[in-house]
Amino acid sequence: MRKYFVVFRVALADRLVYRADFFIATFLRFIPIITTILLWRAIYDGSQKVELGNLMYEQMVAYYLFLMISRAFGSMPRLATDIATDIRDGNLRKYLLQPIDYLGYNVSLRVAHKLVYFVMAATPYALVFWLCRRYLPGWPTGSMLLLSVFSLGLSFLIGFMFNSLMGLLGFWFLEVGSFIHVVMVMQYFLSGHMFPLSLLPAGLQSVVTNLPFAYETYYPTLLLLQRLDTGAAMHVISMQMVWVVVLGSAARIAWLRGLKRYAAFGG
Amino acid sequence: MHARYGRILLRFWKNSLIREMSFRGHFIVNVASEILWIVMLLVFIKVIFTKTLDVRGWSEGQYIFLMGTHMLVTSLFEALFFGNCWRVSELIRSGDLDFVLVRPASPQFLLSFERIDFSPLASVPVSIALCVYATRMIDAQIIAAQIALFCMLIVGGVIILYSLLFMFAITSVWLIRQTGIDHLWFYTVSIARYPAEIYRKFAGGALWFGLVFVLPVLMVSNLPANVMVRTFEPFMVVYVMVSGIVLLGVCTVVFRLALRWYRSASS
Repeated sequence: MRKYFVVFRVALADRLVYRADFFIATFLRFIPIITTILLWRAIYDGSQKVELGNLMYEQMVAYYLFLMISRAFGSMPRLATDIATDIRDGNLRKYLLQPIDYLGYNVSLRVAHKLVYFVMAATPYALVFWLCRRYLPGWPTGSMLLLSVFSLGLSFLIGFMFNSLMGLLGFWFLEVGSFIHVVMVMQYFLSGHMFPLSLLPAGLQSVVTNLPFAYETYYPTLLLLQRLDTGAAMHVISMQMVWVVVLGSAARIAWLRGLKRYAAFGG
Repeated sequence: MHARYGRILLRFWKNSLIREMSFRGHFIVNVASEILWIVMLLVFIKVIFTKTLDVRGWSEGQYIFLMGTHMLVTSLFEALFFGNCWRVSELIRSGDLDFVLVRPASPQFLLSFERIDFSPLASVPVSIALCVYATRMIDAQIIAAQIALFCMLIVGGVIILYSLLFMFAITSVWLIRQTGIDHLWFYTVSIARYPAEIYRKFAGGALWFGLVFVLPVLMVSNLPANVMVRTFEPFMVVYVMVSGIVLLGVCTVVFRLALRWYRSASS
């Protein structure tokens, strides 16, 4: 366990180098929120309805705000392409020769990245949420908060396992970068990042809301929005666990079978 | 004099084409993800317009036309100038601008036209198809003069975007930073792709006024779409054309000023 902690510590130090730039970038990330607020105002005004997709206007805005949080847990920038590159360029050798598990190594790395991100992003996030406070529901109860945090942790694992699996496809296909890119574009839609999935027509909705993408982003966001009661929250969390196990086993199997094919190209 | 610049331009474009042909897979993936992206956007628009018939005075067909126009302007800009603008700040940072300055031709010309990215051009036919689909949908009667004006405004829009982004890139002489031009471009796009009218409701219309009259990024796609499928406002057409010329002039002045400040970095 100690070696994974060392990986974690090194990654932590690495991330703390670019601080000032990070603050600017985090703030800029909220600019589209203004557009989102105004667009949905226009749509609600036009529809003359109070609720669209079971959400009132304020809840719709809050949805996009909370989405930033659940994305912060679930998104794994470049993880899949990094793994695929390690495989293709033969870099994987480096890890195989060490008494360390490659996926475990990557988890430590990502936990460190996320931790630094949360600590540094806390101030800008708090400020933006404070500015948008009139759209937000009140504070959740202690037990709901606990469930939300737990669900976000699972969202991190789903994101990690899914992206690892994509990257490990590199064992079988030489060039997976483009495939990964297309999947990421689809994920924007399927995870509820583009708009809440409850707006979809019933047939499509019943398919999309059962995919792992929904459990990675959409449901944790609804939990933060306090749109799920305890029973529904428990159901979401158990389904998240199922997806973690399914994707995690798939990634592990892909890893073991892939290693048998692995030829360690490159100098 | 002009023949010489024509020859340089031709040579630049030939080189870009050769470069692009060595990454053909890249081009195909771009086309695929572009089409996927449009399908998702269309689903989003359909979802919006099952809830409302109008978004601040834009019907579904008009909205789709706006999407097509926006894609057309932005992909033309990305193909012709984005890569070049991005490279300007890189050249300044690394000190390699010297190699451009010593050449016997206008440095602004050399910097602005050196490279074409062909992959964004894949969206051009797709966005035109989207526009045609939208005009069929609303049964718009379009005369040749409208199309001519539309084309003129598209060119004007590209000039406005070029002037703003190039000016931003050249400020790297004074401000060294990491949060770069790609961020700025991303946020410009995410603001400009919506109906301008939605911004009237923010800060007493100040934001709308700023984005229409001061930095006219909203008019880049809204105005050509207006001319084709909504209303023809002669004042706005003249204003946008004039502001394109003015911004281009300002951009050139700022560029010359920046060159005087430029101190070749590093060795």
